[in-house]
Amino acid sequence: MSVEMDIDSGDAVPQAEPARAQENNTSGEDVAMSSISAVSPPIKSEPEQTPIQPEPPTPERKPGPHYKIRYSLSGHTMSISSIKFSPDGSKLASSGADKIIKLWDTYTGDVLRTLAGHTEGISDIAWSNDGEYLASASDDKTIRIWDMNLGTEIKTLLGHTNFVFCVNYNPTSNLLVSGGFDETVRVWDVARAKSLKVLPAHSDPVTSVAFNHDGTLIVSCAMDGLIRIWDADSGQCLKTLVDDDNPICSHVKFTANSKFVLASTQDSTIRLWNYHTSRCVKTYTGHTNRTYCIFACFTNTGGKYVVSGSEDMKVYIWDLQTRQVLQTLEGHRDVVLAIATHPTKPIIASASMEKDLTIRLWYDNSEDLSDEGPISANGAT
Amino acid sequence: MNESLISPFNITHPTTVQTSLFALASFARFDPTGRYVATGRVDGTATIWDLDTRAAIRILDGHVKAVSSLDWSRHSRYVLTASKDWNVVVWDLASSCVPAQRCTTLRFDAPVVSASFHPRNSRIILALMTTGEAYLVDQRKAHRGRVELCEVQEESDDEGAGASTRVRSAITVARFDPSGKHIFLGTNSGYILVFNTHSKTMVARHKIAGAGAIKGLEFTKTGRQLVSNSADRTLRQFTVPTYPAPSADGAFIEQELEPTHRFNDPINKTAWHAMSYSPDGEWLAGGAADPANHKIYIWDMSNDGQFASALDGGREPLLHLHWHPTKSSIASTTNQGNILIWHSPHPERWGAFAGGFEELDENVEYEEREDEFDIEDEADMVRRKMKEEEEEVDIDTVPEAAKPRQIHHHGVQPGDEDVAWADEEPDDDQQDWKMRVIMEEDWDI
Repeated sequence: MSVEMDIDSGDAVPQAEPARAQENNTSGEDVAMSSISAVSPPIKSEPEQTPIQPEPPTPERKPGPHYKIRYSLSGHTMSISSIKFSPDGSKLASSGADKIIKLWDTYTGDVLRTLAGHTEGISDIAWSNDGEYLASASDDKTIRIWDMNLGTEIKTLLGHTNFVFCVNYNPTSNLLVSGGFDETVRVWDVARAKSLKVLPAHSDPVTSVAFNHDGTLIVSCAMDGLIRIWDADSGQCLKTLVDDDNPICSHVKFTANSKFVLASTQDSTIRLWNYHTSRCVKTYTGHTNRTYCIFACFTNTGGKYVVSGSEDMKVYIWDLQTRQVLQTLEGHRDVVLAIATHPTKPIIASASMEKDLTIRLWYDNSEDLSDEGPISANGAT
Repeated sequence: MNESLISPFNITHPTTVQTSLFALASFARFDPTGRYVATGRVDGTATIWDLDTRAAIRILDGHVKAVSSLDWSRHSRYVLTASKDWNVVVWDLASSCVPAQRCTTLRFDAPVVSASFHPRNSRIILALMTTGEAYLVDQRKAHRGRVELCEVQEESDDEGAGASTRVRSAITVARFDPSGKHIFLGTNSGYILVFNTHSKTMVARHKIAGAGAIKGLEFTKTGRQLVSNSADRTLRQFTVPTYPAPSADGAFIEQELEPTHRFNDPINKTAWHAMSYSPDGEWLAGGAADPANHKIYIWDMSNDGQFASALDGGREPLLHLHWHPTKSSIASTTNQGNILIWHSPHPERWGAFAGGFEELDENVEYEEREDEFDIEDEADMVRRKMKEEEEEVDIDTVPEAAKPRQIHHHGVQPGDEDVAWADEEPDDDQQDWKMRVIMEEDWDI
């Protein structure tokens, strides 16, 4: 099956699962490849896990981010669709078109677990607030909940009638919200694997959905170009944000204080919206985003930045206030689809599509070389 | 956080039933965060419900007779259940054992009618027996003890020496005030006795004229207003006086309290089972002891106690009600054990579905701005937009209005030593603790 995501360029790429990361491989090949990676011992399956020496800091430094590659993690056999740091930042989970979820150690780059069970590619993953559970959204129309201590699947949430594309927990982690190609947003009771609400939210596939910091609001966006804000309790639509040109909206999230939403659109633009006044307060440009649903994140472990992947194979870091590109991280050999920022340390993770298949961990050591934490410990090796 | 987007022109008291929980309960109480509701059952179990999912998330099974009352600690980590089996059990919801494990059991010499935590420290517990005695139990190492709160008996000098002629009256209600500084006891002879929690001495005695036995006491969140329910089927609201520190010689204030408002049903003369204030103290809800109907009366306290509305909850008579700690919502319990959760629904605003549209109540002549359809030079537009975006944004600070408000309690000064006393040896009930989500397979409800 192929799903057309691209409206701008004429040279459309045929799409296979998962929707986020298109693939040209035949399905027979996929199964073979993913099964190899699932059964082989972890060390063998991650041969390229290479600690890279950070360069010694130059004496005079400009302020701003100085991220450098620390690890390059290989293991996925098809496009990587989503990466997320655990709430304490010690682990990184990744999901891909190869139907598996991998769990990595943030500080050593070791692979800790490989979780298999989905029958189609995975488009998104989300950690619960205590880091004990991970939810994954897949093209097999299910959301699965994994116990990250045991490494087992403990729940399957059935209800979506088409690919599930995005998933997120609420702050108390008793609810999940998901969106997918059936154009609905669903709210789930996690502990009982029960659908609580089905919101006929959009008129095109839902590409991103998230709760705000106190769990009272849900924001969703879709390929229809609309961003909608919902009351989590009643399920009522409270607000709709739309840009003049109506570009496909591919990712949306609340700021830490829930005053704004950060929305990525496929006109190569990321906007920060004040949803009370329906005004765009910041615009971030410079990267390329016309085809894929690329993640964008905030980070405030150092300066306040906005971080996003790009279709020109780079990672872009903007200053939140000045909207200047402060740094681009180069090294990936394909579109950088997934991005994650560490909750407490200046670490960025990025993941790329099928011509690359690596996850890269970028560390910013400019300020804390004397830090006693695991960063410098690893830096010495 | 969602308030700012919801229409402000809304009734702030509940109007309709949102959902009902089949709980087989005899009462239901919201927790201080408003995320959960706890129900007590006649078979001795208590259940914690998650209001997001409307599912039972913990079962507290520790009594062999009916649960008579229940209380939450200030950040909802601890729950106490009092029972007619002479026990008070404290449960720690942070432990994720299944089934839930008790953390403390207090045993008394009589069936327990009610028990409550000190509002600042869950290791201080007030308990009332069916025999009419009230005990203050302190479980802290430095203050460990169990003290009976006794009404001061006058030496009846004028009637001659010897035994006091007054029969000691039984205590029928025992409550901490919201600050925890004082304990209010209602007696079967129509008195409200006020004790200082720290010294455990009586500081005031109020005669409530014509009330008869006191059946219930409820405070507003600030502790400034107090409503009593009594045998004469009348709810009385009082303004709570400020009490001085307890004097060394045991003197206390003897004062008749004059109610600011009285609420009763002049026609049917129905009694009241329960009452509860709204979080802002602007509404008072009374649950009528009507044998055939489920009726909640709401009075507008900001409007001189005017009757505002009577909510009809159907055929099952009401046993208990409790107002949500932050929202316009009430939990009322029917005699069949069902919990009705009332809310005030927001009308759906269909205009919200269309971006950039505003709903108008009536037609308005649109006045076009002078330059509204002028074609702006593109470079100018970009420059203007860039200029607009120069403004700094704050993405981290949560607006003050969205944070839980610090309540100033009536009669508490900064640096109050009674407050400091209660804060000694604090419990582990921290604001940031989180109830673990237990997956359903782990246990069966």
